[in-house]
Amino acid sequence: MTAICVNELVKKYKSGVQALDGLTLTVKEGEIFSLLGQNGAGKSTLINVLTTYLSPTSGNVTMFGKDAYREAAEIRSKISCVAQRTSIDTHLSLTENMMFQSKLYKVPKSEAIKRMEMLISCFGLEKYLKYPVFSYSGGVKRRLDIALNLMSNPKVLFLDEPTVGMDIQSRMAMWDMVKKIRNDFGTTIFLTTHYLEEADELSDTICIMKNGKEVIQGSPNSLRAYLRQDMLKISFSEKKEAEKCFDTLKGTIALKESDLRHDKIITSLKSGRSDLEKTTRLLLEHSLPFLGIEIIQPTLEDVFISLTSDNGKEAS
Amino acid sequence: MDILTLLHRNIKWRFHNAFTIVITILQPMLWLVLYSAVAGQSMKGIGIANYTAFVLPGLIVLVSFGACSSSGIMNYLMKADGSFYRILIAPFKRSSIVLGQVLEAVVCTFIEVIIMCIVSLFFSVNIATGFKGILLIALLVFLTAFFISGLTYAISLCLPNEVMYETVMNAIVLPIFFLSTALFPADGLSGGLKITVNLNPFTHVINVLRDLILQGDIVFQDVSFVILLLIGMCGISFSWAFHRLKKETAL
Repeated sequence: MTAICVNELVKKYKSGVQALDGLTLTVKEGEIFSLLGQNGAGKSTLINVLTTYLSPTSGNVTMFGKDAYREAAEIRSKISCVAQRTSIDTHLSLTENMMFQSKLYKVPKSEAIKRMEMLISCFGLEKYLKYPVFSYSGGVKRRLDIALNLMSNPKVLFLDEPTVGMDIQSRMAMWDMVKKIRNDFGTTIFLTTHYLEEADELSDTICIMKNGKEVIQGSPNSLRAYLRQDMLKISFSEKKEAEKCFDTLKGTIALKESDLRHDKIITSLKSGRSDLEKTTRLLLEHSLPFLGIEIIQPTLEDVFISLTSDNGKEAS
Repeated sequence: MDILTLLHRNIKWRFHNAFTIVITILQPMLWLVLYSAVAGQSMKGIGIANYTAFVLPGLIVLVSFGACSSSGIMNYLMKADGSFYRILIAPFKRSSIVLGQVLEAVVCTFIEVIIMCIVSLFFSVNIATGFKGILLIALLVFLTAFFISGLTYAISLCLPNEVMYETVMNAIVLPIFFLSTALFPADGLSGGLKITVNLNPFTHVINVLRDLILQGDIVFQDVSFVILLLIGMCGISFSWAFHRLKKETAL
């Protein structure tokens, strides 16, 4: 069953900035859906529209068959959102925060108490009960923020860049938590991120967006060619040298025009290590002056370049 | 029920930040205790026997402004910590969100007015109109605080930051206070100043409060006029606050 259906969504702010430009995507119920995009791609605007905070300029958003703009009141009781910045009331205690959230969503008191106890245990918050909320570390505050957003047992949980600024251990703990929420509570999770590996690790479906519109949507497996492919990077001291070598290398390894990026050549590896060996040999044989050669993981920018050159889809 | 949920949470915020009560009552209290004692001597010459009782209605309005202004600040704090957004995407009516905050300011105003009235007892201030007068004073304080709170709520959503907000509120409160009958009777005024003071709605609120405190009789015509005036003003300020909140999501 479809949880969220976004069709030709446009959001143009009154300031004139166009954040969403005809975006279309579909989220299935019970899945982890990752929206991948760089800063300024329109991810947060999309979350704001989906959570009924902002109204769209044009296009349709339906959630569980209801129009998110016209039937916002009904939608609001089914969703919850953990924003980029934690939104905990520091003047309330941990339990008061959770009970306040339950009252916001009109959860009966007895049910709210049971759910609060379960969530406190599930998110390992027991040992923080006796301390004031303002003294919590960033990670604990984030856990509490997610826990209190689950108080209303939402059908869809929006997570806006939940791991931004976290160290790798905290990120992995967060990934486990996101999977646990989906598995234990059956919640549909819609998360935004600009980390490729995060989307790859967590998602059932990934949508990559740029400049307010989707570039591609599919399962991590179907996007494997873009997300997990090793890249070969050759660095030069200046652009001219990169251009000179580009012409020489073109005949040896299949290069596209888009692989030449200022003073670097970055291309996806077709034959793994043999491409690396072949290229290094050629560079040395022709005494081409390069600074370094290495195999790297693709960045989001690499994926965009790869996608736009492969599919002819361009978001400028 | 929605309103009570938010009201309860906002009152908790107020008591967690109890210094906002102390700070907003400090200046009116200084006026009540020090200024009335100093100026009271010279006011006896123009027929005001108890200047503390005379100045109390104006200070009730001033304390309302103080308490309700800090309610506007709450919007900036809520925006900074993210709870503003969390409440806006919750299944709550926009009107309940505004009312929950406006009523918190009203509660805070009542707390401060009660403290001021208790202190003024030590300066021989009595409510001449008795229990009925106290009820009418309570109604007038409620409406005054409701109007100011709606106003400060709307202003806080119009202005980009706390510094601008504080500056604008100072620019509003002090002229309103001094261009009213808060500190002196309007009898001796003439010309443009008299017109300005009479155009100030708080002049009429202060005059009626003063009559209820000092005069034994309740002039229902005057009281009814001020109540109707305040109800109209409350309607306008609440509508403006409601409209501003709706505009928050219409970027």
